[in-house]
Amino acid sequence: MMSTKAFALVPAVEREQLMGDRERVSLECVECCGRNLYVGTSDCFVYHFLLEEETAPGGSATFTATKQLHRHLGFKKPVNELRAASALHRLLVLCDGSITLVHMLSLEPVPSGARIKGATAFALNENPVSGDPFCVEVCIISVKRRTIQVFLVYEDRVQIVREVSTPEQPLAVAVDGHFLCLALTTQYIILNYSTGVAQDLFPFCSEEKRPIVKRIGRQEFLLAGPGGLGMFATVAGISQRAPVHWSENVVGAAVCFPYVIALDSEFITVHSMLDQQQKQTLPFKEGHILQDFEGRLIVATSKGVYVLVPLPLEKQIQDLLASRRVEEALVLAKGARRNIPKEKFQVMYRRILQQAGFIQFAQLQFLEAKELFRSGQLDVRELISLYPFLLPTSSSFTRSHPPLHEFADLNQLTQGDQEKVAKCKRFLMSYLNEVRSTEVANGYKEDIDTALLKLYTEADHDSLLDLLVTENFCLLTDSAAWLEKHKKYFALGLLYHYNHQDAAAVQLWVSIVNGDIHDSTRSDLYEYIVDFLTYSLDPDLVWQYADWVLQKNPEVGVQVFTKRPVDDQQSRFNPDDIINCLKKYPQALVKYLEHLVVDRRLQKEGYHTHLAVLYLDEVLQQRPSASGKDAEVTETQAKLRRLLQQSDLYQVHFLLDRIRGAGLPMESAILLGKLEQHEEALRILVHELADFPAAEGYCLWRSEGRAPPYRRRLFQLLLAIYLSPGPSAPELAVAAVDLLNRRATEFDAAQVLQLLPGTWSVQLLCPFLMGAVRDSVHARRTTQVAMGLAKSENLIYKYDKMKLKGSSVRLSDKKLCQMCRNPFCEPVFVRYPNGGLVHTHCAASRHTNPSSPSPGART
Amino acid sequence: MRKPDGKIVLLGDMNVGKTSLLQRYMERRFPDTVSTVGGAFYLKQWRSYNISIWDTAGREQFHGLGSMYCRGAAAVILTYDVNNAQSLLELEDRFLGLTDTASADCLFAIVGNKVDLSEEGPGEGGQEGGQGPGLAGGGGCAAPRLPKQVQLEDAVAFYKKILKYKMLDEKEVPAAEQMCFETSAKTGHNVDLLFETLFDMVVPVILQQRAQGPPQTVDITSSRPPARTRSGCCA
Ligand SMILES: Nc1nc2c(ncn2[C@@H]2O[C@H](COP(=O)(O)OP(=O)(O)OP(=O)(O)O)[C@@H](O)[C@H]2O)c(=O)[nH]1
Ligand SMILES: [Mg+2]
Repeated sequence: MMSTKAFALVPAVEREQLMGDRERVSLECVECCGRNLYVGTSDCFVYHFLLEEETAPGGSATFTATKQLHRHLGFKKPVNELRAASALHRLLVLCDGSITLVHMLSLEPVPSGARIKGATAFALNENPVSGDPFCVEVCIISVKRRTIQVFLVYEDRVQIVREVSTPEQPLAVAVDGHFLCLALTTQYIILNYSTGVAQDLFPFCSEEKRPIVKRIGRQEFLLAGPGGLGMFATVAGISQRAPVHWSENVVGAAVCFPYVIALDSEFITVHSMLDQQQKQTLPFKEGHILQDFEGRLIVATSKGVYVLVPLPLEKQIQDLLASRRVEEALVLAKGARRNIPKEKFQVMYRRILQQAGFIQFAQLQFLEAKELFRSGQLDVRELISLYPFLLPTSSSFTRSHPPLHEFADLNQLTQGDQEKVAKCKRFLMSYLNEVRSTEVANGYKEDIDTALLKLYTEADHDSLLDLLVTENFCLLTDSAAWLEKHKKYFALGLLYHYNHQDAAAVQLWVSIVNGDIHDSTRSDLYEYIVDFLTYSLDPDLVWQYADWVLQKNPEVGVQVFTKRPVDDQQSRFNPDDIINCLKKYPQALVKYLEHLVVDRRLQKEGYHTHLAVLYLDEVLQQRPSASGKDAEVTETQAKLRRLLQQSDLYQVHFLLDRIRGAGLPMESAILLGKLEQHEEALRILVHELADFPAAEGYCLWRSEGRAPPYRRRLFQLLLAIYLSPGPSAPELAVAAVDLLNRRATEFDAAQVLQLLPGTWSVQLLCPFLMGAVRDSVHARRTTQVAMGLAKSENLIYKYDKMKLKGSSVRLSDKKLCQMCRNPFCEPVFVRYPNGGLVHTHCAASRHTNPSSPSPGART
Repeated sequence: MRKPDGKIVLLGDMNVGKTSLLQRYMERRFPDTVSTVGGAFYLKQWRSYNISIWDTAGREQFHGLGSMYCRGAAAVILTYDVNNAQSLLELEDRFLGLTDTASADCLFAIVGNKVDLSEEGPGEGGQEGGQGPGLAGGGGCAAPRLPKQVQLEDAVAFYKKILKYKMLDEKEVPAAEQMCFETSAKTGHNVDLLFETLFDMVVPVILQQRAQGPPQTVDITSSRPPARTRSGCCA
């Protein structure tokens, strides 16, 4: 496994400073309190040093220990343990089975001579229960068998507060609040000294191996377990962290979050509490003390003292990131959350996430990278700036310092591998597309959209057009230059349009259509331009390109006028100007007039006449070529006829003059019809064209919307023409018979009969006659029925009248008008059908004043 | 580190496949394992709860840690190897006692692992566990298929023994059929079923523990009345 550099070992007190050349003397115990470093030796000396930390130019820490004092305690025994109680200015010294209190600076014993006797080991309660700042709580393992004692130690006196016995002999003790964590002969236990409740932790044979009991934080201890385990246990007797695996012969352990440090005779090992992995191994021979003092880790051999300096967490994380160990770096960073102020942590953590993101990115792990960028709230421009030329030249962006990664740009990152470059570009494309509409983009929308435009352009991506036709923040100058460079002229036009430069846009597109520049994005670009102009709100632009679009294709080009939204046409485009403009393009002009007359139904004589004349001109033009088969009606001719029939606005006489002699009988007939010259019109249809259905149609057309007699008159006229003698009499007779038989109801049979030649058989006119007879019989019968009904109605009224007259009405003083409640003073009155009597004037006022109550309701 | 809401502990002799079962469930794979040292745990988010699952070491050396790991557990998974009758006996002899520290309403599951190795077991192609075929090497490459040494009925009988030992009423705890599983960490057979059945059962236990107040303080004093402490009896 790769190692992390979490700690550096720095010498603090050299051998010479302690024992000089006294070979046999060894260092027994250490205490560190602020800058005060105390050392106890085997020959019963206590040394006091001042420890100064300095930072060398390279950033590494060095220590110098300046000796202040040393004092012999007056025994022939080694100093076993030292503990400072800084609030009391006292140093607790365990030597020869008793704990003496000495002054922290002078190292003089307190004058009272207060001491705790009969102790083999002791521990200070760092989570004291008393709450008295002028005393410390001390637990000792008593020389009395299986006994723990708890003392309160003041400046110059000590006081025993509790004695508890243990099931077995205790060998090591740590304390937190009321809870003692004890290593007994065969097991570890947690003992609540105030309640006496004990809780087994796990068996451990303390006779075979030296137990370790360390308080590592609130209510939690670190213990040496079987098989070289470092076990964690809380005061509740449970384990909340998985054990770490040390070597078998660990003699000391400490925690410096998030690491567990263990000492054996050869090494200092560092495990992470976050993933239980061993992170670092420092060779360290003959170490026998490892302790942490308010976060300062001190290790010692029997000859010298060293400080284990934690490298700044950020440095460790940076080292991990530098060796691409993203996962570990993140675990470490997350683990540090509670040791760092929230604000600072968030800034740091975000940065680490971003760095981790770039590491993943460099390995083309885009999914992971994206997630890290997202959670690290990366300024997207950091990413964009990796890609040469993508950020707009105007962008004020500079990469964060220190840099988030080591890459100058994408080319360096991929070492020129074009396939990788392409992959990275695809990633950026999708990433930017994803974030551009989220809050990540806030403040950098120009940069993002411009970069995206450049990427799409380069990749010839369809989304380029989508980007430009929807809301975007592409910077004009930068994007324009890029599009031009990549010959994306159509897109460039869209860009101009988006930036309200429609003239530039159209000019560009026109150049493409004209072939001056090349861009095949749209094969229907001409139609696109027409459409664009159609909806353009700039009349000048439309007029500017009207000639161009009309020249290209008059019929399509005219759409810029005809398809324009109507309100826009009315307010800004005068039809007469347009007509004037279209003079050169007859087809276009026809289309435009059709639009005015047919679509918009403009009731202006000029347009109608003009259109009719144009149709007529065309018809006349076409005629010579189609002379052989005049039966065939051209499309224009059909339109002309429809216009002549349906419009009432054109100048009939004018057209009639132009048509005269042009051999257009049908059109002539229509025009004559308009002038109500029916006989002449019908004659043309019957004699000249012999088009009987048309003649019949004429009658229907001209009688549209008029009373039936008018229609009858027309049919009668037609019949008369059929029947008037002439060269083509036989066909006309057939037509007449046919007309009569099919349209029997359109005729007044009596009049018809007078016209008919006597030679015609009844058989011939059977359908007509039957129809006529039936009609007349039917008419007679319905009239009789109506008459009968009217008579009976009359009878009913007569009956009512008789009834009403039959009974008399007595008028007396007692009879009051139902409306005004006054008596009748005159013999005149009104009687309602329900018998109610009212004054005549009351009856009249009731009808004019509907709110007055009805007399019927009063009775 | 988020504090777990409940704890599940895997117990069983070494080599029965505790670590493999957990890896299969948590990481969806069947890697080579080394015999566990000490213990390890995973945090599993189940609905809105964080459940810690402890993998313990079956080796004799670490046996003593079991009681501590089991303290306050909401469920214990007792694991044996269906091809090793001794491994079931060991559960009764060595491991059941470790669960005395578990919470009073602790659930027990009996799991016979490595069914893929025995004749009756589901073939490696029959993927009841839902995993794709040919997932992992390890273990029994073309091992001859042997008859199963432990039958499910044996596990059921053991489960009933546990209830007796715990003095629990059969009617008040989940039925044996519900709590005895045969699994294969190798094929994934029944692995999800095992863990997820337990999670679902553990959630109400967690809720009940919560209702009773902060478990830590309650646990210590109530699970062991002072009269039973060693200091008391040795005084
Ligand atoms: N064929 C087969 N082999 C398995 C299965 N489960 C585990 N093994 C193998 O059995 C061996 C032991 O598995 P572990 O998961 O390490 O066993 P353990 O119970 O965790 O053992 P300790 O950690 O020592 O207590 C390994 O070689 C696994 O590959 C299984 O379901 N089928
Ligand atoms: Mg294991």
